[in-house]
Amino acid sequence: MAEAEVEVRNPSGLHARPAATFVRAAAGLGVDVLITNLSRDPDKAVSARSVLGVMALGVARGHRIRLAAGGPGADAAVTALIDLVSAGLGEEVEGV
Amino acid sequence: MSTKLRGLPAAPGVASGAPWIYRPPETDGVALRSITEAAESAAAELERLAGRLRDDGRPDEAEILDAQALMAIDPGLLGVAREREATGDIGPARAVVAAAEEVATAFEALGDAILSARAADVRDVGGRIARHVSGAPAPRLSHRSIVVATDLAPSVTVELDRGLLAGIALEGGSRTSHAAILARALGIPAVVCVPRIVDASATVTELAIDGDAGVAVLDPDEQDRDRLAHAAALAAGRRSADEAFRHGPLETADGHRVHCVANIGHPDEAEPAFSGGAEGIGLFRTEFAFAGRAAAPTEVEQAEAYARVLRAAGAAEVVIRLADIGGDKPLPYVPIPSEANPFLGVRAIRLMDTEPELYATQVRAILRASSAAQRPASIMAPMVADEADVAAFRRLVDDARAAIAGAPAPRVGIMVEIPSAVLLAEQLGALVDFMSIGTNDLTQYLLAADRTNPSLAGRQDPLHPAVLRAIDGVVAGGRGRCAIAVCGEMAGDPIGALLLVGLGVDELSMDPTAFGRVKRAVRERSITDLGDLARRALQMSSAAQVRAMVTAT
Repeated sequence: MAEAEVEVRNPSGLHARPAATFVRAAAGLGVDVLITNLSRDPDKAVSARSVLGVMALGVARGHRIRLAAGGPGADAAVTALIDLVSAGLGEEVEGV
Repeated sequence: MSTKLRGLPAAPGVASGAPWIYRPPETDGVALRSITEAAESAAAELERLAGRLRDDGRPDEAEILDAQALMAIDPGLLGVAREREATGDIGPARAVVAAAEEVATAFEALGDAILSARAADVRDVGGRIARHVSGAPAPRLSHRSIVVATDLAPSVTVELDRGLLAGIALEGGSRTSHAAILARALGIPAVVCVPRIVDASATVTELAIDGDAGVAVLDPDEQDRDRLAHAAALAAGRRSADEAFRHGPLETADGHRVHCVANIGHPDEAEPAFSGGAEGIGLFRTEFAFAGRAAAPTEVEQAEAYARVLRAAGAAEVVIRLADIGGDKPLPYVPIPSEANPFLGVRAIRLMDTEPELYATQVRAILRASSAAQRPASIMAPMVADEADVAAFRRLVDDARAAIAGAPAPRVGIMVEIPSAVLLAEQLGALVDFMSIGTNDLTQYLLAADRTNPSLAGRQDPLHPAVLRAIDGVVAGGRGRCAIAVCGEMAGDPIGALLLVGLGVDELSMDPTAFGRVKRAVRERSITDLGDLARRALQMSSAAQVRAMVTAT
């Protein structure tokens, strides 16, 4: 079981484009990754391949998410998605 | 005989053609494809349409369609649809539409504004998959048409033949809906909020629309056609003449300058405002930071948003208004008991008593942004009634300054929208750096006419002599004490702007789309003429009389 957490820094959170980028990446991994919005509902995990599920988590800027997966390739899949989110999912993320 | 239906203007221009009524795809026909096959072909089609929008230079709308392409193959949505198909006695098309409806309803139930807005996208996807299940062709125009619908998804607008799509007439929608924004971007004339237009169009052969006036004409006759063509030519000429003034100064024919600044409601709007001719931001509404979320925005989150605007402004002034939160648009994290009259209730800075952290955090965020951008923002308090409110506001700012070391001192100002603040303008003006008159709320409060009540719309005119006298009083009270601005819609209306300049207002803050028309109107008169005009208006007995007088002179 691989598990890791990260804070989402995108201005609109995991909505629209960043959500689409995230889901496309997750779908290409060949591993089922579950995502949880710890800042909103720590008990609800949805498939990272479902754009509707990810959107319904209501991940806003500053929220922490948890990614979890099991089986072969789980570690690499979770690390890849965490890196992608940390890097801003193709968007520019900045601090003040 | 022709019939005229009045709606709202959404995209400029005049157009006519046969009405073509868009209806969502049928779901009762024979199923040619499985849900999985249909979903895949719908997704491919949406990706193709997104590419078409990108080629049109519309990346924002293209993103909506990209996201819809992913929704179409969403395992959750398709799982529910297959379950519905297997357990119920409904066909695959209806199963998909029902599943999309379930997801959309769930989105709307979460109380998140962004998600609610996406519910329509989900329903649109469900309809598209249903069409692919039945193998029905995409909607196609066969001749030059005015597309009539309740509302029109971007994915449908973009797949219609651009050469045959003459105009759009919607029964629902709004000026800021996807359909209206896309129509403006693509140069397609459009009217929205036209009552009964879908039913009424079913029995006519021709429909004409005037996207500048917001009017639809069913079965137009020769006379209607001439009138519309004439109106279209005038509007086009006026628009291009206005544009020539957009980047120039806001000044009278004899060189009396007035500061011309922008109203914005989101950090993204700052840059376009400056490139569109703004000399500053006169009203930065901050409700965007608070709406559509489960918890209050943090200080750092807010500071980032405000700093973006300060950076876009360079050395120009930015007036940030504290959030105007109230019982008419409740937030999940600000408990306000249900009120009989929310506009007269616990609104804006009145929340300082019960929710002290809300505004303390916002002011600290503004100071933090000022520190980061190394230049002060101006801070404005809404709903100030008297000296006690100003004192509480100043205390709030002083406390925040003590907490954020080294933040530059902000200019502080108040909104004048409550009649008591008008009567106390002299006292209040001595306590602040500027006062900004919010003519929309001032009109509502002065005339005791709820601006959300459509049957009182006729009483909502800021050209009413009582409103003009109130503004005159604020200018006189503030003279020599503080700067006077106006940030209501009146400032962006050429007739209103002429009177405000004549009354001696220092700054007009408006939607950036109004810069050209306001500057052009003011440029045609001298300050003496405008002063006379304003004095005469103060003596009149109705808004209609004022409007007629200004138009005639």
